[in-house]
Amino acid sequence: MSIVARPVAHQPRAGAAGPARWNREMLQYFSLLLPVLALIFIFCYIPMYGVIIAFQDYLPGSPFWGEGSRWVGLEHFVSFVQGEYFLRFIRNTLVLSALNLLFGFTAPILFALLMDQVRVTWLKKTIQTASYMPYFISTVVVAGMVISFIDTDGLITNMLTAFGLPRQNWRVQSQAFPIVYTVTNVWKGFGFGSILYFSTITSIDPGLYEAARIDGANRLKQMWHITLPGLKHIIAINLIMSIGGILNTNSELILLLYTPATYDVADVIGTYTYRLGILGGQYSYTTAAGLFMSAIGFMLTYLANRVSNALTGYGLW
Amino acid sequence: MDLERKRIARRNHIREGSPLATGVLGFIAVALGLVTVYPMYYVLILSISDPAAAMTMRVYWVPDGFNLDSYRLLVRDSEMWRAYLNTILYIVPTTLLMLATCLMGAFPLTVKGLRFRKWINMYLLIPMYFSGGMIPSFLLIVKLGLYDQPLSQILPACFSIWNIILTKAYLSSIPESLRESARIDGANIYQILLRVYVPMAKPILAVISVYTIVGVWNSWFNAMVYLPHTTWQPLQLYLRRVLVENTQDLTRTLTSEESLERALRQMSTAQLKYAMIIFTTLPVLCAYPFFQRYFIKGIMLGSLKE
Repeated sequence: MSIVARPVAHQPRAGAAGPARWNREMLQYFSLLLPVLALIFIFCYIPMYGVIIAFQDYLPGSPFWGEGSRWVGLEHFVSFVQGEYFLRFIRNTLVLSALNLLFGFTAPILFALLMDQVRVTWLKKTIQTASYMPYFISTVVVAGMVISFIDTDGLITNMLTAFGLPRQNWRVQSQAFPIVYTVTNVWKGFGFGSILYFSTITSIDPGLYEAARIDGANRLKQMWHITLPGLKHIIAINLIMSIGGILNTNSELILLLYTPATYDVADVIGTYTYRLGILGGQYSYTTAAGLFMSAIGFMLTYLANRVSNALTGYGLW
Repeated sequence: MDLERKRIARRNHIREGSPLATGVLGFIAVALGLVTVYPMYYVLILSISDPAAAMTMRVYWVPDGFNLDSYRLLVRDSEMWRAYLNTILYIVPTTLLMLATCLMGAFPLTVKGLRFRKWINMYLLIPMYFSGGMIPSFLLIVKLGLYDQPLSQILPACFSIWNIILTKAYLSSIPESLRESARIDGANIYQILLRVYVPMAKPILAVISVYTIVGVWNSWFNAMVYLPHTTWQPLQLYLRRVLVENTQDLTRTLTSEESLERALRQMSTAQLKYAMIIFTTLPVLCAYPFFQRYFIKGIMLGSLKE
């Protein structure tokens, strides 16, 4: 079931099927296409090819092939996996992603279900509009606000102190980082993430609820037997995508929120690649590390898709 | 419809759920709404409060006093204005090029008899699943000579395969007979695109523009990687220096007398930062009510392809 009616494929009428040979018209079409294809080639395909430096000792300015390129095979992968930080990455990535999956993924669903219970239209609209707003505020500003709020005299610290917690700068407390990261992520994304659920709920036939109520179903039962099954396919697809993205933590946000004091719980592959690769110049090693993590991520997506296809019948492919 | 539902329920003697539960659920919903808005509100009231009150950071409900000195200070910050200008310089061409690449990429693909159509579709699909990653992209920018150049913010961001696919889906719903009749009237392909398809594609183009504008406005990571010098850095990187790294001194524009006055009036750095947050987020928040529906539309169009 699609949310918006799919555009109807138009049957080409006889004689109007458009050009099929190389003629002036076809050349005109390609004159439009080629610049775009060229941009995609340059900015998407060349970097994919550039991944071969993961198997080399690449120095800036040296060529990828032939004289001057130094091939080292899987050396970088081996040293990454055996390196002292490998387990730290795996642990941090899994912890941050698991928290995000647990809260970031479920919050939009719960929020949509909750809002469905609010029957006062203007209130519902107002709260929905408010909930999307954080999505539009830039990550930098959000991080800046969070950093200020959890500082010694910040808004959140003040609140926590009222509950008997020590007054301190929570940004440099490593045990607090996963919570700060998750709360920020959820706050920024839950409203926007629920838009699709809202609209799907609206498209559920009201007659179903009517029938359920006549049969004596209470609110919870209606939610369980009508609303949730109606959302099943979107939940499945979003879940597959979240699982595939498990290794792509929001490194932009981490990069803004972490400090050297919290590296041991906050450092993930994206932030590490930035520090060691872009700032440190270890291009080959960080490319290998990134490739290794992407490969795991791809396998996870594939597995999640298989499982979902088997369990729910919905999948990406 | 709600009323209708209630009326039917009453007629059939069906209970609408307990009013207590409705109240509790409504209360939770309102609380959630407040949680999303309050941080921004707090930043706002603190930034316009009297410096002495703002210093305590304990202005929770309404502004304590009214004072715009922090804003007066900010608008003299030439580095901020430069960063503002840079961001606008990136937004305008990126958005225009984005619309152009979407139309140029999508329009030919709606033609059934296009040569290599299958291959081109495949060519578009592959980068959606695989990418070279941060380092190879960085090396590419360096090799292209775009490192430390403003073009490094425009060229890699001026197309999006996802947007091309959205545009293609939208254009496919335009009846082919329109193209045919234009062709019979003697229009060439470019004229058909500009005169027939572009006017009809306005809704999708609006959605894509809004996504691009907000995306460029909020982006900072590529700028951080590709632009080492502050000259060309966009607003978000300036904000990062101010809010996250604390490496930008917001009081440097002051003369010594004013510094003294600031010290006397105890205007805190936090208040300056908060004023900066409001000042730089205001354009987005003002545009938000107008942009909102396009964002929702974009999600709907995207869900169609998922």
